[in-house]
Amino acid sequence: MDVLIWASEACDTAKEIICKPENVVELFEHKEALFSIGPFDFTRTVFLIFLATLIVVASLYVAFRKPKIVPGKFGVVMESLVGFVRDDVAKGTIGPEGGRYVPYLLTIFLFILVGNLFELTPLVNFPITSRMAIPAMLSVFTWLIFVIVGFAKNGFGYVWGIMWPKSVPIALRWLVGLIEFVSTFLLRPLTLAVRLFANLVAGHLMLTLLLGSGWLFFASVGDIGLRSIIGLPWFAFGLLIFVFEFVVAVLQAYIFTLLSAVYIQTSVHPEH
Amino acid sequence: MEELKGAIALIGYGLAAIGPGVGIGIVVGNAIQAMARQPEAAGVARTTMFLGIAFTEALALIGFVLFFIA
Repeated sequence: MDVLIWASEACDTAKEIICKPENVVELFEHKEALFSIGPFDFTRTVFLIFLATLIVVASLYVAFRKPKIVPGKFGVVMESLVGFVRDDVAKGTIGPEGGRYVPYLLTIFLFILVGNLFELTPLVNFPITSRMAIPAMLSVFTWLIFVIVGFAKNGFGYVWGIMWPKSVPIALRWLVGLIEFVSTFLLRPLTLAVRLFANLVAGHLMLTLLLGSGWLFFASVGDIGLRSIIGLPWFAFGLLIFVFEFVVAVLQAYIFTLLSAVYIQTSVHPEH
Repeated sequence: MEELKGAIALIGYGLAAIGPGVGIGIVVGNAIQAMARQPEAAGVARTTMFLGIAFTEALALIGFVLFFIA
């Protein structure tokens, strides 16, 4: 019985209609620090960030340390990933000058991919991109790059071209310009970060609830007897979502990279 | 009112998901039509489809985040 009590004591179902966390702070931080260096807490999330960085660097190093004409199996996988980001995302979206942005796009693609796949890794089971700080930081980088590129390529005509679009009838220019300004400089980084964050939080919650409730029913077989078989469909549905979340993890990494490339492209060629 | 807050947020998320649901349906449906009519342009259509989905989906995701904040 104790597992069921443990599950239900978090909130009083007689008083609250639905159970949810006290506040959203726990989506933005990890409280238990493994150890602290001065004011900086070294938590599990920070550990996983370093692990993801290490995995990305190590896999790129192993694959491209001694480039071969006929690469091995691992080399083929890494080469296809790099080729995909370079040819399809960077050059396909930005154009011939997209080559300059390949290092940045490849870095965020691989980092987000590894971070998302932590969600499905056994014994880790925690996507680092479901803590708002990481998508927010990455989208700030993208924001800085497309704003700086816009100013470098067009000078102050960059902001002027957004706020006073020439292709719009003159009576509506201020309105369209205002909407464009807000959407370019405020909504773009916000939605870029929130999209990744919310997708991963939703996936993490679904996996936790389904697999956790399945396990909870199985574990309480001594108390509720044959009725614990209801855990089976939950567990099966959780495994189904597990496969779906793999697709979501790869797709969200791709979409973040693709949108970064599209935003940079709008700064390189602002008239389109 | 305080104890109803969570339930209202839940309804709000449901409402926020209607528009993007319709929108993603239109985006994907038209992308499939484009791919079926011109299979040689399938690559471009697929990239643009993912972009359209990403932009449309943002509204639902903001609703999802607001559910937690409310």
